[in-house]
Amino acid sequence: MDPFLAWLELTTFSTWVRESPSVFAFPAILSCHTVGMGLAAGINAALALRILGAAPGIAIHEMKRFFPVMWFGFWLNAISGVVLLIAYPTKALTNPLFYFKLALVAVAVALIGPITRRVFGNPDPMPAPIGRHVKRLAITSLVCWAGVIISGRLLAYTYSRLMQGF
Amino acid sequence: MATFQVWLVSTLVSAKPIGRLMHTRWGWPAAESIHFLGLSLLIGTIVLFDLRLLGMARRISIAALHKLVPWGLAGYATNLISGSFFLMAEPDQYIYNPAFHFKMLFMAVAGFNALSFYVIAARRTMGPGAEEEVPRAARIIAATSILMWIAVIVCGRLLTFYRPGGCGPEGPGFLAYCIPQIKRF
Repeated sequence: MDPFLAWLELTTFSTWVRESPSVFAFPAILSCHTVGMGLAAGINAALALRILGAAPGIAIHEMKRFFPVMWFGFWLNAISGVVLLIAYPTKALTNPLFYFKLALVAVAVALIGPITRRVFGNPDPMPAPIGRHVKRLAITSLVCWAGVIISGRLLAYTYSRLMQGF
Repeated sequence: MATFQVWLVSTLVSAKPIGRLMHTRWGWPAAESIHFLGLSLLIGTIVLFDLRLLGMARRISIAALHKLVPWGLAGYATNLISGSFFLMAEPDQYIYNPAFHFKMLFMAVAGFNALSFYVIAARRTMGPGAEEEVPRAARIIAATSILMWIAVIVCGRLLTFYRPGGCGPEGPGFLAYCIPQIKRF
């Protein structure tokens, strides 16, 4: 028994998210988490695909205009993710896969800076061909985001404890 | 409609090898993972194109950005296949589920909306001599597309919250939202 998690699970907010029959409780938060996933992982994937040679006509440095939408998706997921964690803290925190997912998110986010500095930094109308190093970063980014999605999905199947005392 | 639904369920359930595959230890989670990867690929490419039509990143050529759309279609195809696997494995959980009915409705609207882009707006936005300003029709289509795909995602997530139970003595009604109490298979 962890006293903090036991307390957290009994708070009004945690109970509401978990047990409210309202569609605006758990279902709405899960929906936000999925839309945010599509925006965050999807827009990062679109940039990675462009770096790897898809749609070469796209002025790559102009793709930075789409990144506020990517960050919107990311923060939507950070917030909805915390809410889901408050609803079922034991379920996530006792599952090693949850930490693996967080580590992959950390790597994927850490890659955004190095990738975007290299491809958004140069507004040259005739940019130099994209180097092998950036392409390797793009592949790593794709793998990380795919890993985040898959491990997130598998959290529903791999937990050993649902709540304190269960 | 309810009769059609019963027929559809009995037809889908006859795909027994798919059902068996989906009910193995990792069948369902694997198909879900693939479904979510396809979703992200679709949203990441189609929504970017829609946002461009709505006026974001104006210095990116619409025709050039459109080259990402086949990747979105690949995501769509991935999800059509993985989605049909869920349907063949547990048909009555979908065919009698109101969230699924709405999901199909929004997918149909998204589909016709995308077709209408190619019929009425593609030439004016990315053909030779395309207008500088994106026509209003194309902007409406783009906004509709974003809204419909979000609605499809939300309905997908609502599926588990509107799982149908068995019908009461009053029977299923015109469009069944419950599992009719007849021999199903």
